[in-house]
Amino acid sequence: MIFAHGSLLPDSRLPGLLAGLEGELNAALAGPPLPAETVLAALDALGRRLAAGEFDALLRRFLPAGELARLGEVLPLFTRDVLEEKLRAELGPERFSPRERRQTTARFLPLGVLLHVAAGNQPGLGLFSVAEGLLTGNVNLLKLPREDKGLSLAALSLLTEAAPELAGFVYAFDLPSSRTAELKALAGLADGIAVWGGDGAVETFRHLAPPGCRLMEWGHRLSFAYLSGPPAAQELDALAAHIAATGQRLCSSCQVIFLDTGDFSAARAFAEAFLPRLERAVLARRAGPWESARAALSGYTAFLERVTAGREPGEAFFRGRGCSVTARPDRELELSPMEGNVLVKPLPRSELLPVLRRQKGRLQTAGLLCAEEEREALTALLARAGVTRITRAGRLSDPFPGEGHDGEYPLRRYLRVVDVEN
Amino acid sequence: MPSRQALFWHPRPYDLPASDALFLRAAADNCAYHIAHCPGYAAICRRLDFDPKSLRSTEDLARIPALPTLLFKREALFSMPERRMAMRVTSSGTSGTFSRIGFDWGSLLAEVPMVLRLGARHRLISGVPAHCVVLGYQPHRDNHAGVTRTMYGLTFFSPPLSRTYALQRRGTSYIPDLDGAAHALERLAASPFPTRVIGFPSYLWFGLQQLEALGRTVRLRPGSRIILAGGWKEHGAQEVAKSALYAAAERVLGVPPDHIHELFGAVEHPVFYNACPNHRFHVPIYSRVLIRDPETLAPLPMGEVGLINLISPLMTATPTLSVMTDDLGYLEPGDACGCGIPSPALTIVGRVGMSDIRTCAAGAAELLGKGEMG
Repeated sequence: MIFAHGSLLPDSRLPGLLAGLEGELNAALAGPPLPAETVLAALDALGRRLAAGEFDALLRRFLPAGELARLGEVLPLFTRDVLEEKLRAELGPERFSPRERRQTTARFLPLGVLLHVAAGNQPGLGLFSVAEGLLTGNVNLLKLPREDKGLSLAALSLLTEAAPELAGFVYAFDLPSSRTAELKALAGLADGIAVWGGDGAVETFRHLAPPGCRLMEWGHRLSFAYLSGPPAAQELDALAAHIAATGQRLCSSCQVIFLDTGDFSAARAFAEAFLPRLERAVLARRAGPWESARAALSGYTAFLERVTAGREPGEAFFRGRGCSVTARPDRELELSPMEGNVLVKPLPRSELLPVLRRQKGRLQTAGLLCAEEEREALTALLARAGVTRITRAGRLSDPFPGEGHDGEYPLRRYLRVVDVEN
Repeated sequence: MPSRQALFWHPRPYDLPASDALFLRAAADNCAYHIAHCPGYAAICRRLDFDPKSLRSTEDLARIPALPTLLFKREALFSMPERRMAMRVTSSGTSGTFSRIGFDWGSLLAEVPMVLRLGARHRLISGVPAHCVVLGYQPHRDNHAGVTRTMYGLTFFSPPLSRTYALQRRGTSYIPDLDGAAHALERLAASPFPTRVIGFPSYLWFGLQQLEALGRTVRLRPGSRIILAGGWKEHGAQEVAKSALYAAAERVLGVPPDHIHELFGAVEHPVFYNACPNHRFHVPIYSRVLIRDPETLAPLPMGEVGLINLISPLMTATPTLSVMTDDLGYLEPGDACGCGIPSPALTIVGRVGMSDIRTCAAGAAELLGKGEMG
C-alpha cells in the first residue's frame, strides 16, 4: 500500500505517483509553510485518541500479539506537553523565531523534503520520525519497514483525517529494500534522509543519497547496566522487568550488566542470584509458548555457539524458565543473545573508560545502580566514556521529555539556517 | 556406515517398535562418527556430558545434544571435507540467513529405499508419464536451496514429459510467471497424459484464487496429482485452512483431495515425511520426534505443544543427528488418526520466527564481528 494525498492507494499506482512526485513536492514547498501549531494540535489529538484505546481494536489487526503494549511506550511522546518540551529543549525558547545577529537575521526553515527509513524493531517508530519531520515543517516520505503490517499507514490516515492540511506533507511507501530503483528516485527528491536501523540500511542509503543530501543516521547502539555497591532489591527487580519488557531488542535495552569489581566470582554469584528475579519478570509477561520458545532457543543457541567456538570454559551459564543469565570473565560490552538472555561481567570503574571507548559511536544508555553519594561521580565517568543517556535502574528504555537522540538534537538537523543581510 | 543402511533398507516404513534397535544402533554410530570428525560437535557432547555408548533405549534419544537449526545458520559445522561431500545445500531461509548442510554419498544412497518405499506407499510413484508444472524455482547450478532440488526430484516420480516452472531464472534472479503456469495448465488439460502440479502451498493457493477469479478453471486429466512441498513459510501470512485449499484445487483444477499429497522435510532433516489421507504426518522409521518444553527444553509427553526436535542418523557430512527446529508442534498417537498407520503423527502449529527478529542492538554487534572484541 501507498499513502499519499491523505489516502491509501494500491501499490499498482506507484509508477504514476513517482512520475508526478517531484511536481507535487515542489508545489508543497512553494505553498504556505506548515505552522508548528497545526502539527502540535494534530499529533496531540492523535496521541490522545490512541492512548484512550479508541483504536485498539483496529491496531490489534496490524500488530503482533504483545506489541500493542510496546506501542504504548512511544505514545507518551505524542502529547502537546512533550512535543512542546522537545521544541524548547532542541531549538531553545525562541523556537523557530528569527534571531537577530549583528548584520544579518538568521531565519530557520525546514530542510525541505525528508526521506525517513524506519526500522522494524519498535512499533510506531516510523510515525515518530515523520512527526519530527512535520514539527519542523518538512515534507515527509516514509519508507515502511517490512515488519510494519499497516500500523503506520493506519496512524497516518487518522492523522490527516483529523488535520487535512497535513495531507500534502506526508507520503508513505511499502517498498522493500530490494527496490533500489524506486528508492533511488525517492532519495533523489530528498534534501535529507533519516535512516533508522542497521548498518545494512545505513550503507544502502549512503549509497543511494545524492551528494549534498543530508544524511541522519540513527544507527544501532548498545546499552548496559552498571552496578556499584550492593543494589536495592527493588532496583534489581526493575532492571529485570526492563529486560523482560523490551526483550533486549532496543538500542536502549540492557545487554550486559557490568559490576564494579574485578572479581569474576562476584559476577558469577550475582548472575546466579539474579536469575530467579529475571525468571519472575519474564514469566509475568510471557504471552505464550512462542515468546518462551524464542527466548529458550536464543539462549541455548548462544551457549552452544560458545561451546563450539571453545570459548565457553570459564563462563557460567544459568538457565531459567524462558530466560538465562551468563557470567563471562571478559570485560567487553557486546550484544547478548537477547529475548531475556542477559550477560554479566566484571568491570571495575578504573577500567570503565578504556573498555567503553572501544565501542565509541555505538554507546547509548547506561542504567546506573549505585549509592546516591556515588551517583554523580559515576555519571560523569560514564558520560566521559561516551555514553549519551544515563538513567535509573529499569528505566533504560523510558522516553524522557526533551531528551536528545544519540547525543544530538534531531530537530536542529531537520532545519536549515538562512542568513539574510539586514 | 552399515547400521544406517540397515535402518533405511528396513521393509516396514512405519513400524517404529520393529526398527527401534536398528535406529538406536545407527544413532550411536552416527553420533560417534560426528564426535570423531567434527570438533565443534565433540565439544558440545563433552560439555553436555553425552557419550553415544550410553544410548540403550529410545528414552535415551532425548539426551543426544539437540542442535538448533539456528546454530547451522551461524556456524559452519561439518564432519567431512567438502571435496568428499556429494553436495551442499541451503535452507530456504526467507530472511537472508541460511543453514549450510552437506550431504554425503551414503546419505543419498540411504534415501533411495526410503523415498521409493514411501513414494509407493503413498501412491506417488507411477509408471504413467506425466507433465509437470512446478510452482517453485527453476533449477540452476547457482541455486543451492534444498527445496529447489526436492521439487526437481519429485518430477521423476512418474516419467516426466515436460516441466514448466512458475519461478523462472532470468540472469541472476527469479521472476514469478504464474500466468505462464496457468497457460500451461490450460494446455495440459487437453493432453492425453495426466499432469503433476508440484509446488509451495502458498503459490498454489494464490494461483488457484487468481484462476478462479478470472473464471479460468480447467479439468486436468484423471490421475493428475498435486504435490505440496516446502511449507507455507515463504508467504506465511496467507496461510489458509487446508480444507479451503483442497476444495479450491478440486473446483479449479479438477484434482480431488485424495490426489493431493503433502510433504514435509527440512534441509537439516531430509526425511521424506508424507501426509496420510487424514493430512497427518506420521513419523517414519528413519526419524524420531521429540516435543520439548518451550521454556525449559525438557521433553514433553504426547499431546503437548512444544518445540519440535527431529532425530535421524541419516547424515554423516553434517552433525544433524538431533536437530531442534524453530517450529512448534505436537504429537498424537498413531491409532487415534484412523488411517491405519500406527506411528505417532506430528502436527506443526507454526514457526517461532527467530530470523524475523531484527534489532538495532543486533546490528551494532554485526559490525563488531559478532560483538566480541576480546
